[in-house]
Amino acid sequence: MRRRTLAILRKEFIHILRDWRSLLIIILMPILMIVLYGYAITMDMRDIRFSVIDDARTPESRALVQAFSENGFFRLVPGPITHEDIPERFQRRDIHLVLVIPSEYSRDLAREHSTRVQLIIDASDNNVGTFVNNYSEQVLAGVMREMNGRAPLLFDIAPRIFYNPDMRSTNFFVPGLVALILMLISALLTSIAITREKETGTMEQILVSPVRPLEIVIGKVLPYVLLGLLNAGVILLSASVLFDVPIRGSLLLLGLLSLMFVFVALSFGLLFSTVARTQQIAMFMTLMATILPTIMLSGFIFPIASMPAVLRWISQALPATYYLTIVRGIMLKGIGLAELSTHALVLLGMGALLLLIATKRFQLRLE
Amino acid sequence: MRRIFYLVQKEFRQVFRDKSMIGILFVVPFIQLVLLGNAITTEVKHVRVLLGDRDGTPMSRAFLQSFRGSEYIDVVGQESDEGAIARALDRGDASVAVVLPRHFQRDVLRGERPAVQVLADGIDGNSAGVALGYVSGIAAQYQARLLSDDPALGRQLLDLRRVQAEPRFWFNPDLQSKVYVVPGIVALLLLIITVFLTSMGIVREKEIGTLEQLMVTPIRATQLILGKIIPFSILGMLEIAIAMGLVYVLFGIGVEGSLLLLFAESGLFILTTLGVGIFISTISETQQQALFVGWFFMIFAILLSGFFIPIANMPETVQYLTYLNPMRYFMVILREIYLKGSSLPHLLNETLAMLIFGVTVFSAAVWRYRVKLG
Repeated sequence: MRRRTLAILRKEFIHILRDWRSLLIIILMPILMIVLYGYAITMDMRDIRFSVIDDARTPESRALVQAFSENGFFRLVPGPITHEDIPERFQRRDIHLVLVIPSEYSRDLAREHSTRVQLIIDASDNNVGTFVNNYSEQVLAGVMREMNGRAPLLFDIAPRIFYNPDMRSTNFFVPGLVALILMLISALLTSIAITREKETGTMEQILVSPVRPLEIVIGKVLPYVLLGLLNAGVILLSASVLFDVPIRGSLLLLGLLSLMFVFVALSFGLLFSTVARTQQIAMFMTLMATILPTIMLSGFIFPIASMPAVLRWISQALPATYYLTIVRGIMLKGIGLAELSTHALVLLGMGALLLLIATKRFQLRLE
Repeated sequence: MRRIFYLVQKEFRQVFRDKSMIGILFVVPFIQLVLLGNAITTEVKHVRVLLGDRDGTPMSRAFLQSFRGSEYIDVVGQESDEGAIARALDRGDASVAVVLPRHFQRDVLRGERPAVQVLADGIDGNSAGVALGYVSGIAAQYQARLLSDDPALGRQLLDLRRVQAEPRFWFNPDLQSKVYVVPGIVALLLLIITVFLTSMGIVREKEIGTLEQLMVTPIRATQLILGKIIPFSILGMLEIAIAMGLVYVLFGIGVEGSLLLLFAESGLFILTTLGVGIFISTISETQQQALFVGWFFMIFAILLSGFFIPIANMPETVQYLTYLNPMRYFMVILREIYLKGSSLPHLLNETLAMLIFGVTVFSAAVWRYRVKLG
């Protein structure tokens, strides 16, 4: 049993090492992804370009424009603009906000202690709309503090941010990236590795040899487990070296639970390989059924709580949802098995169930 | 010409012979469209909030009561003990806690401005920021109510001058993320399908050995490539037509601008992605390699397209990198035509960039093909 498994294992390793292009991509992609994600992904807007229609032309209105252009959120695009120009300018995408100061701005401020400005926002990207609105509120709050010497409030809000006090997006994305890449490598590679043998006809050759199904499965799957874990290690290392993402909890626990997740992902891959006849179909199935949902529905980027109920249920059926909670919990919150036992058990159950179905189907096809 | 026709016919037969391929082409993408259209949301809803009241006065109770009944906030419990709050955040049972200090009511009435503590899980920084915004919004509303109910309180603030903002959200007045995201998903699905279909389709012929059979026939390299491009562009256009219909029926999002322009630009985009697909097939030996190179290309094409991370937010060097990405241009074009009804003059730069990219990648692909054949 052991010798035959070892033989398959060796064969699979030779396959992997011989195809250096794939290997290079498998190893380089996570690093490149982490560098790009680390630097590129930030939801905070900066330098939002805006123009001004100042119908008041008073010292107060000029001070308001100054306050908008000096805080780092907005950048003034000078030059005259009229109401009629706005659609054209928004379509040219050179500004996202027009600040309209009405002619009675200073008069109202002096007589009624209350005045208005209009913000015309290109909100085709709703996120931009929200940010522009929030930033404008902050700028106006500053302007009012300046005018009054205090905030016009009855009480203050004192926020305290846990786990990620600077709200850095790398701390949020990197643990998610570990989950994504483990899923990608484990599920995709396994499903392809087995279907490839079917497509090229070598599977039949293996089948007529005295190797047993379980031995084939173990020999095929183990190299990819190792590759996956190697990758996870590389990601975690580069995350902490390049971006100072902390690992506050136990590294051992993280390793063990990651192994469990890899086991689930591999079972997925195995299951697909028993269904698909060609590599192309295996690839599409894995892509559509595991990787895209993992990116979109597991809470990797988009908050699960904001989704409609049906999608929340689907996300509860995804292994990555549980693994993400585990990785983020251990890395950022520093929590342990006590808080994560349910998640670990669910993963274990999913893996066992999938593997059972996959081996059953595998044996059926062999007989 | 007849040769190309036969090749096209062969390609269609190959695609439609396989039932799972039909599913992959025409069923799965649209399931994805429905799923993703609902899943990809940058709106933050159902924030789980713990409320803590250390004051226990009518005012503090009324304040905390105003957190209930918002669609953005789910109140999950009452807790004012810091240790218990920290544990709830640890377990993920709550992501925000609002705690009113002792003597809240007394201090407000005396004008001493007590501090309302807001404890938030900051792991998802974006959501945390938005959630803090909700808390401030509710607090501001409550303050406005206090002021109108109790004129005595208002005297505290009487001499203070106020500037109010009146935001107008153009093109997307309700700030719905689906309006922005769904057209992007159409581009995404088109990219995935066309790149994989061409790259893996050609490499598959290499792997099985049928490409050699084609090479010994009198078909020329250009004809061979045309025989691949024509069927896949037709499939791609079909995909986008169906996708746009579904977007309208399911999400109620119609095209503001010219449909003709949208289709023409889509055709241009499909040509660039097919070019990429063919190029990938010329540098890969096995389907696995084609898959990896394709996947590699797409991850970056999607990430750097502005699909969910605005390009303006990226560091400058990364921004320059996005100019090499055809998806970046198509994403802008699609959204502008969909949301603003922009016409060609406003999209000229993007169109030209896509054209240049397409011509370059196609020439490279044909050249690589010739090298291999010769």
